[in-house]
Amino acid sequence: MKYCLIFFFLIPLSTLPQSSFDFHSPENIKKFADHLFCQGDYLRAVEEYESIKNSNLNDTIDFKIMLCYSEIGLYQMSNLSEVRLSKSIFKKEAECLSLKNRFKASPNSFYKISEIKVYPFSKEDRLTLNYFQKLTSVSFLLGSNELISKDEIINPFDGYEKKTMLSFYEMKVNPACKSPALAGVFSAVIPGSGKMYVGEWGDGITALLATSLLAFLAYDNFRADHKTRAWIFTGLGAFFYAGNVYGSIAAAQIFNARINFEFSEGINLFLEQKNYFMPEYDFCN
Amino acid sequence: MTLNSYKFFFILLFLSTSAFCQIDNLKWQKADLSYEKPDNFIPRNYSFESDDPVEFVTKSFTNAYWFFVSDVDGDNCPFRPSCSVFFLDAAKETNIFQASLMFFDRFTRDTNFAKGHYHYPHVRSGYFYDPPQNYTLNQGKINYIPPAFIVDDK
Repeated sequence: MKYCLIFFFLIPLSTLPQSSFDFHSPENIKKFADHLFCQGDYLRAVEEYESIKNSNLNDTIDFKIMLCYSEIGLYQMSNLSEVRLSKSIFKKEAECLSLKNRFKASPNSFYKISEIKVYPFSKEDRLTLNYFQKLTSVSFLLGSNELISKDEIINPFDGYEKKTMLSFYEMKVNPACKSPALAGVFSAVIPGSGKMYVGEWGDGITALLATSLLAFLAYDNFRADHKTRAWIFTGLGAFFYAGNVYGSIAAAQIFNARINFEFSEGINLFLEQKNYFMPEYDFCN
Repeated sequence: MTLNSYKFFFILLFLSTSAFCQIDNLKWQKADLSYEKPDNFIPRNYSFESDDPVEFVTKSFTNAYWFFVSDVDGDNCPFRPSCSVFFLDAAKETNIFQASLMFFDRFTRDTNFAKGHYHYPHVRSGYFYDPPQNYTLNQGKINYIPPAFIVDDK
């Protein structure tokens, strides 16, 4: 029995021994950080990379730090790495990523960099210049009220991208918006027609029926000399009529807000699909 | 090994079994579910709390609407905020005249016999989300939300 008990206690001790393996060596931290990076856990990956930055920094780690910060939306932190990478093999990639960060931080005003003509990269580098021009074109579409020419917008692109940008340009120049004033005038002439103009047929027909019915009831009661009822129906009819004119203007404004929303969402989706025109870096295979 | 030794061995074995027992089984216990439709009725507050004459007029109109329309009609307004609350919010957002126009427009949309409410987003409780801020005729205040979205009405 004594041996049995000793044996029983010794087994767990031997199966869970205190390992002498150093989990916190820079190499192991880097392995763990690489694993987190490949899993898409950029927040924790960058923490691990930062902890070995002083002891084990190389260009790849620095570029990965830049990528991680960019992915989690800390664009200024991401761009700090660009200076360190300016003399490395990742120079061009770092410049492009820095431009992408600037664009993502303020997509609607990114194009102003081209207006002040102070470029945050060397203009001799054609690849980076082309990348900058692409982002500037998209920023013009998103933010500027005064559009540059069609050629300037689409020239930096090729193939499918060019076709898509051309369609976005057409949407920007000729948006499928409805005129709020026209909607109001339509409803003033024929109640409900302003709503029908913006595509809300059910609301339009309901407004037409409600206003017509109240107008008829008012007229009928005036004719029958039921003045109190007649004035109640007149008041109600007037409010329904005015409310419908007002609502038609509001409906056209909401319709236009939807068009603008879909336009910017379409561009954002296109940018996400194209990874903001950046190449995909495969550090995991 | 004597009988006591066996007993001791089994006690030891059972102790370790109970110490590492599966506590996940708590997850699989019976849940108290209710299949009743949740009651979304908000108790009416008919009192006049403000001395502001404009609020007095809007509150009078709202109370009359509750008494003559809402309470008779039941929980049938498909929108959130409901029509009466929409009117009160619109009066706070704009003025009583504009709020009245907004209310009559909303009432027309509420009575839409075709039930064409497909272009509104929903709130969690299933109603259509239609805030007065979108109808002030101020383009900058319009917050367009696509119909596929669920809005947290709290």
